[in-house]
Amino acid sequence: MTVAQPALGASKRPSRLRKLWDTLSVVLNSRIGTVGLAIVVFWVVIALLSLFWTPYPPNSSLFVQNLPPNLTNVLGTDHLGRDLASRLMQGTQVILLKTRLPGDTHVAIPGGVALWGVFGSLFLGAILGLNAGYRGGWWDQVIMQVLDALIAFPVIVLYLVIIAALGQGDLVVIFAITITGAPGVARLVRSLALDIKTRDYIRAAETRGESLAYIMYREILPNARGPLLVDAMLRVGYAIFAIGTLGFLGLGLPPPDPDWGNMVNEARRNIFLNQWAVIFPSLAIASLVVGLNLFADGLREEITRYQK
Amino acid sequence: MLVKDIMTRHPILVAPETPVTEVQSIMVENQVRHLPVAGDGKRLQGLITRQRLALSADELGSLNVWEITRHISQLTAKQIMLKKAQVITIDPDRTVERAAALITDHKISGLPVIENGIIVGILTETDLLRAFQIMLGLPMAGVRVTVRMPNRKGEFNKLSTVLAQKGWGVAGMGSFPTPRHSGQYDLVLKISDVSVEEVKEALSDIPDQTIVDIRTVV
Amino acid sequence: MATTTSLDTSSITYGHTGPVLKLENVAIAYKVRGGEIEAVQNVSFEINRGESHGLVGESGCGKSTVAWAVVNFLGANGYVKRGSIRFLGRELTGRSGEDLRRLRGDQIAMVYQDPMQALNPSLRLGDQLKEVLTVHRGMADAEAARRSIEMLERVYMPDAADVMRRFPHQISGGQQQRVVIAMALLNNPALLIMDEPTTALDVTVEAAVLDLIADLRREFDTAIMYITHNLGVVARVCSKVGVMYAGEMVERGLVEQIFKRPQHPYTQGLMRCVPKLGADKASSMLYPIRGRVPPPHSRPIGCVFGPRCDYAQERCRMERPALRTMPNGVQVRCHFAEDIDPSQWQPHEDVELPTLREVVASEPILEVQHLKKYYEVSGSTIKDILGLRPKSYVKAVEDATFTVQKGRTLGVVGESGCGKSTLIKTIIGLEDSTDGKAEFMGFDITGNIASRDIKLIQELQMVFQNPDSTMNPSYTVGQQIGRPMVRFKTVPKKQVRDEVIKILQAMRLGETYYDRLPRQLSGGEKQRVGIARALASHPNLVLCDEPVSALDVSVQAAILNLLLDAQSKLGTTMVFIAHDLSVVRFFSDDVAVMYLGQIMEIGPAEAIYAPPYHPYTEALLSAVPIPDPTAAQKHIRLEGSVPSALNPPSGCRFHTRCPQRHFAPEGGAVCATQIPPWQETDNGHKIFCHIPLETLRTFDPVISHKEKD
Repeated sequence: MTVAQPALGASKRPSRLRKLWDTLSVVLNSRIGTVGLAIVVFWVVIALLSLFWTPYPPNSSLFVQNLPPNLTNVLGTDHLGRDLASRLMQGTQVILLKTRLPGDTHVAIPGGVALWGVFGSLFLGAILGLNAGYRGGWWDQVIMQVLDALIAFPVIVLYLVIIAALGQGDLVVIFAITITGAPGVARLVRSLALDIKTRDYIRAAETRGESLAYIMYREILPNARGPLLVDAMLRVGYAIFAIGTLGFLGLGLPPPDPDWGNMVNEARRNIFLNQWAVIFPSLAIASLVVGLNLFADGLREEITRYQK
Repeated sequence: MLVKDIMTRHPILVAPETPVTEVQSIMVENQVRHLPVAGDGKRLQGLITRQRLALSADELGSLNVWEITRHISQLTAKQIMLKKAQVITIDPDRTVERAAALITDHKISGLPVIENGIIVGILTETDLLRAFQIMLGLPMAGVRVTVRMPNRKGEFNKLSTVLAQKGWGVAGMGSFPTPRHSGQYDLVLKISDVSVEEVKEALSDIPDQTIVDIRTVV
Repeated sequence: MATTTSLDTSSITYGHTGPVLKLENVAIAYKVRGGEIEAVQNVSFEINRGESHGLVGESGCGKSTVAWAVVNFLGANGYVKRGSIRFLGRELTGRSGEDLRRLRGDQIAMVYQDPMQALNPSLRLGDQLKEVLTVHRGMADAEAARRSIEMLERVYMPDAADVMRRFPHQISGGQQQRVVIAMALLNNPALLIMDEPTTALDVTVEAAVLDLIADLRREFDTAIMYITHNLGVVARVCSKVGVMYAGEMVERGLVEQIFKRPQHPYTQGLMRCVPKLGADKASSMLYPIRGRVPPPHSRPIGCVFGPRCDYAQERCRMERPALRTMPNGVQVRCHFAEDIDPSQWQPHEDVELPTLREVVASEPILEVQHLKKYYEVSGSTIKDILGLRPKSYVKAVEDATFTVQKGRTLGVVGESGCGKSTLIKTIIGLEDSTDGKAEFMGFDITGNIASRDIKLIQELQMVFQNPDSTMNPSYTVGQQIGRPMVRFKTVPKKQVRDEVIKILQAMRLGETYYDRLPRQLSGGEKQRVGIARALASHPNLVLCDEPVSALDVSVQAAILNLLLDAQSKLGTTMVFIAHDLSVVRFFSDDVAVMYLGQIMEIGPAEAIYAPPYHPYTEALLSAVPIPDPTAAQKHIRLEGSVPSALNPPSGCRFHTRCPQRHFAPEGGAVCATQIPPWQETDNGHKIFCHIPLETLRTFDPVISHKEKD
């Protein structure tokens, strides 16, 4: 004999781990999301592994130049006789794991260039978007006009201008990604803010006489996090792509650490001798970007389904 | 009273592609004898009646037992229906008596009601008979009286004057030339809220008119 | 049979009257992750030609699911699991999509709550109407246009030829719904499914649409399946009604019988939840049904209503009752339908009932005089941008004057766009006022919230309409209720949690709710939290903006009781706006009726709901659907739609639609030229009208109850 119980009884405050798992399990419900997640996790594991172990030292020319994949060098060697697999592994670090500070100090802060760049654009974009969306009026006009002007520039030109003005370096690339990413984030946040600010709980906050900052950052922003998270995933992909492009143009992350784009650029000159040195870094970039895109798609799919 | 008032609206329709087996079960299950066949937009294409479901003798003769089953299972409504050109139909704005005339003249039992080529209803003998019952006041309680009067002007006026004086309500009415007595009319009235005696008393004084039948139980 | 008193011909039908739609033991299931959910079980009913059959019940009871099953809109994961659905004598279940489409053809039409779901915003209405005839029927364009106009006139659309040239957004919501109904009828469907077609409409518009539906049913012999949650609407348009609960039909029969003598405990409960028009809180009580509708996956084995039923016995827990036909022809799904006597009913001890305190008239807490709120309209032509054209204003609130006394409730009623929400927003400070005086506890509150002292802000709080947006989805219940305490420092930080739990308990939610997120709560629970948040800072005045209109009736009753209870315990003053006149009457001590930004009538609640009344109030009252088929209601329908507030009519704002204008001096000529006087009857009841009070007094009451036999 069972009598229907009105939902859960005493519920404990959910732990952070539990929350994380909840979010993750949401993604795992989507097939695309799972595939994307697998690809991303693969690269993160590679990056973590490369901190402790690579098959060979990535920057030393130990082998014959331009070897195709073989038993010793799984992915072959490049034009200087360096092991391609080791270099690819090492290349994940600057993107995902560490940002080198300027100077010859070899000091690095955790978090790759792509991640910091995206974080920067989220931070800047969110502030601008919230102010434009919630305050409206002149704030909206001015902020959006400036951002539209920024969007009107071709991204690559913007990169070149920034790097030309500030010189090469990890922080400069982060800055460039931030500047180019912020307008998009701001537009997204603005549209979300425009929607969220019509909700009654914002009226409730207003009738409590809450400050603008409280309403924007405490009431609106947390509710924008779903779409923002999806956007951030996509943006990490774009950022990796941008880093690759910059590397290819020779303006990317400075040596000595290998950078995928740079690797493609260098191998390009010997493309008729050894295609593998071009193909593998390109594949690496493509797979990580595609992985992040799939992951973002899955996330979006599941988050929107969740909201219904 | 017009066809649109007494017809059955929203009749069951079948598409031309419907298998005959299904047509048959629809007719049996829903106890209908007429099944209009309609194409897109409820346009009339044909009509299926019970008779159309029977296979003709020469058709039967040409088939052996195994072939009959197959033959029947492949038949569709379109193949057995009476084609549109042969179907006798009526417009919803025609009169009830015209509809009845069509049915008797053609010795059929029902008419699809068509407006601009679109089926808006069906009128069968049953519908006409139901209207006839209502016309003579069958559903209402009251005294049913048949008054015989000469076929000349002013007779009905005499009767209606009496009804008006008494303030009686008429729940049903019909008039017919008296069968086998030319020159006379029988008028059937259903008068509500009165007794037989009252009616007898009031109507028997009308000159030249006689009560030929009076009853409460119809 | 001797005689009948009158010739009742209503039961006579011509033609064949067999069922158009017949459902037998239908179960509808949705496939979900890890199994399936039977949303609807054992539903049987039939609808004959020319009959309108209501389906009532609270949200989530499966009413719409039944309709969707008929039209095969169940979506990719829904299907009819058992039973048969027969339409015009033919089985619909188990057929393929194309087969179904051909079978149904254009014989079933559906009208939704939101007319814009059926209208294409980018096409002219005329083209959309004509398309129905030209595409399927191959009718010539001119002929189709002629018939479309004819049909629009049939649905009482004013200026039909002109409407044909317009786009959907250019006509009002009520008119859009008429166009949708006209479009549905162009095909002369055998079955018309209406899913809450008037829920989004104002009461006067709703009344007109309901009249229309009743007319059309007779004229077209269409079978109508009418889905609604509103018992009053059912009483007005339906001949039969089925009451649904938790996916089952629990009671079904003729409307008169169900309303006169409901036999299922759920139906009885529903009737006790709705305030009768004219009933007030002092003389009557609302009895919410305890508990809540069980979700489809955890329905009890026995009677679905068992856990909430006051008559439940052992058998109800063990055995699912079958739908039985009672001697009076009503079908009831209850083991003990014969034994239940509603007149002996006593509320269960779990049911929360408010304790009322007599409020003596005391000093006014809120005084508003000649308050105005205009919104500037910025045009987009070059002249407007350069400021060459005189500025135009939307006069949202015009000259509002009223006082609210401490501890009392002022109800504000009016149709959408009448300015009641603007009035509240101005008082609470979300908007600053344009002109006039407004004082709260002696402080000026004409400015917006930024200009107010934090202590003043604390004293004015608000309860919102939409339970789904009243809470921030990102924070727990506890955090949200605690925030006003932190913000206004009414409670030391360490005690906030205890205090919140205290309030939660007062709202009958309990401590376990402290850490829940809004998405884990039902609509009624969210609304309780919203009220808790508003009361957390112990404000003196709480403004309620339609706090119950989005809730189911049984929840609505509970929330109203909760508000009443809180009010009597805390002595809070309230301003309560709602469009439901019965709810306002029940809840309020004083009532103000607004039309187009203007208060038309104000005074004690009992005075507003009895003559003399303002002609507008009279029209509103006669439009309210009453859940009592035996009540006779005056038939007053307003012509046209509410004029634009941008350019309101001169003189009396109501004169363009006033049905009683001819009673005014000079045959109503003054109404168009002069602003009416405030006529005071007694104890503060004031009417804003030219018609002399003596004439107004002669009007009959809108609602009279026929003698019961």
